Amino acid sequence: MVTSTTLDNLNASLAAMERTSDELSSGKTILEPSDNPYGASQVIDLQSQLEGLSTYEANAQDGISWEQTASSSMDNMSEVTQRVRELLVQGANGTYNKSDLETMALDVEQLTETIKQDANAQYAGQYIFSGTATTTAPYESGANDEYAGNEEGVSRSVGPGASITITTNISSLLGNGEASEDGGLLDTLRSIAKTMRNGTAEAQSELGGVYLEKLDGNMETLRDLQASAGSATDQMQTALTRNEDLQSSITGALANVDSTNVAEASIDYANEQAAYEAALRAGASIVQESLLNFLQ
Amino acid sequence: MTIPSLQGLQTALSGLIAEQTALDTAGNNIANANTEGYSRETALLEPDSPLTIPALSSHTGLGAQLGTGVSVTTITRVRNEYLDAQYRSQNSSLSSATANAEVLEQAQSAFNEPSSAGIAAQLSNFWSAWNSLATSPTEEAAKQAVVAAGEQLATTIKQLGSQLSAISSEVTEQYEALTGPSGEVAMIAEQVAQLNGQIKLSEEGGIPPNEMLDRRDALLDKLSSLANITVTEEPDHMDTVTFGEAEKPLVEGTKFNWPQELTASSGGRLGALLSLTSPEGALTQLQSSLDGVAQTLAATVNEHVATPFFSGESAATLAVAVKSSEVSAAGTEEAAGANKVAQAIAALRGGAAEKDYAALVEKVGSDVQGAKNDESNMQTTVTAINDQRQSVSGVSLDEEMTNLITFQRGYQASARTLTAMSEMLETLIEHTGVVGL
Repeated sequence: MVTSTTLDNLNASLAAMERTSDELSSGKTILEPSDNPYGASQVIDLQSQLEGLSTYEANAQDGISWEQTASSSMDNMSEVTQRVRELLVQGANGTYNKSDLETMALDVEQLTETIKQDANAQYAGQYIFSGTATTTAPYESGANDEYAGNEEGVSRSVGPGASITITTNISSLLGNGEASEDGGLLDTLRSIAKTMRNGTAEAQSELGGVYLEKLDGNMETLRDLQASAGSATDQMQTALTRNEDLQSSITGALANVDSTNVAEASIDYANEQAAYEAALRAGASIVQESLLNFLQ
Repeated sequence: MTIPSLQGLQTALSGLIAEQTALDTAGNNIANANTEGYSRETALLEPDSPLTIPALSSHTGLGAQLGTGVSVTTITRVRNEYLDAQYRSQNSSLSSATANAEVLEQAQSAFNEPSSAGIAAQLSNFWSAWNSLATSPTEEAAKQAVVAAGEQLATTIKQLGSQLSAISSEVTEQYEALTGPSGEVAMIAEQVAQLNGQIKLSEEGGIPPNEMLDRRDALLDKLSSLANITVTEEPDHMDTVTFGEAEKPLVEGTKFNWPQELTASSGGRLGALLSLTSPEGALTQLQSSLDGVAQTLAATVNEHVATPFFSGESAATLAVAVKSSEVSAAGTEEAAGANKVAQAIAALRGGAAEKDYAALVEKVGSDVQGAKNDESNMQTTVTAINDQRQSVSGVSLDEEMTNLITFQRGYQASARTLTAMSEMLETLIEHTGVVGL
């Protein structure tokens, strides 16, 4: 009886030691669900949340890169439009002859082409200014100024239930060209080139008057678009910061649920080891003693 | 009436024989100190019937009774039947708990949670794949990744499902092996029935069949681990044994009734095996909950797509129903670059499927925890009762050594009595018998 009790106790101390050693070597207190059933379900939930946060982080970073591409395209457009404006002012002051104006018109046409190229900017193989038709270039090069994209927006999920539209509606700036007479930038540029070629004094005054006004209007729209792209970037930056905070708090919660407290576990382990050794020693000496030792 | 002269020798002899028998019994106890199921034996000594010396005889005056020595009436087992019954009832509960814990632990390890390869991780990967598709809706690689993650998830769920059914059929096989015609129940029942007959014969012959009784008790202990048993000792010393919820007694006299139907509430290992796989059993519930997870997953994902992404209504049949070319981040009417659908599916992370699965993991965890607690509680109880039983029936070497000395001294004293008698008779025969020579 003494032997079986001693053996049971030895086994129990050994099992406790093994358990602590497992917790120490794995760094986890929940090695299987039965160790802490509710904790195990929490771990699943928290890990999924953490993984979700890292996808939101990736989405926001992707969105920021997308907006950077869009912004740099629009910066180019802005510079080009500025250059057209300079030509327009030159053409309007009446000191240039017809052939000079012809050269200017050619310049304007070339700059128009540049703007269309900028509008066809791609990010990760997707046309960023085509709405959701990201496989279609918004404008083809050459004379056709028809917008080939759509008005839908592409968005990125940057948090639970938080989605930010990253598409810049470029057609509201560029329009569908001269034929449509929609007052878009392309319409304006084509008209300017045409008017320059016309070369008459009346045309020249139009350049300085109605067309300068139209171009300024277009530049205003461009600035609005740039601002809204910038604000989308800011929103995503904010989401990133919030995301980081959440990640660290969830990582903390996860650690509370299933990480081994190394200091505590080490002390436990030392205690259990001592207890096991004591049990071994006691068992060895108790079991040896019997009346037999004392009989002659 | 006078006392026979040689009576003293007989008395001393009876003492020698009795002490020797008692010494032999102690020796046998020591020899069997570590024999499983052995009950300590003691020689019951009783004074022999005395010689009556009648009153008013000329030599003695008042009457008296003179003892004529001692005899061993029987050698009995020291055993407490009440503790046996208690041990068996607790032992049934213990092996029921052990069987539960064994099976549920197998089920738990099939879940492989928490880990980076379990269903939870695969679900997470699956949502992440849809999220990547939302970022690159037109990329073929992202679509392939969605299908690959979906297939891996479906396979993992299917594997867990088939592991659970494998465990369930192993449980049934184990039950059938134990209860089959050459199974443990039949073998024990047959042996108990045989022993019943032998014990009856032996008892009728007036010889206490200690060794056979020990064997029968050991067999009944073993039987109690398979299901609840009740043991009734009939007047003819044969045990009637009822087993679980079986209709007829398992052993009746020298006959045994097996096979019989058992129910889930039969207790012991067999009862546990039956209840685990019963419709309300823990194992069955795990399987149906897993089917529920598969259904929820398929339903919540399919809700967002035009052609169902998942097919199948259970863990075993869950599969990805589309090719990567049919996967689209956009709705049917939308342009290729739209990502509403992929975003909606990626947002299912942490949704119903995941919650159901986490609840399932919690359930298997608490099932195992409960079964293990039951097991260790029952183990403590059984150990305590067994300790009590051992303190009654077990061989204590200290006690036997003391007995050894007692009987040895008794033997020596009886021998000394014999010597004294012999010397007395010598006086009578040698020194008084010279008349007439």
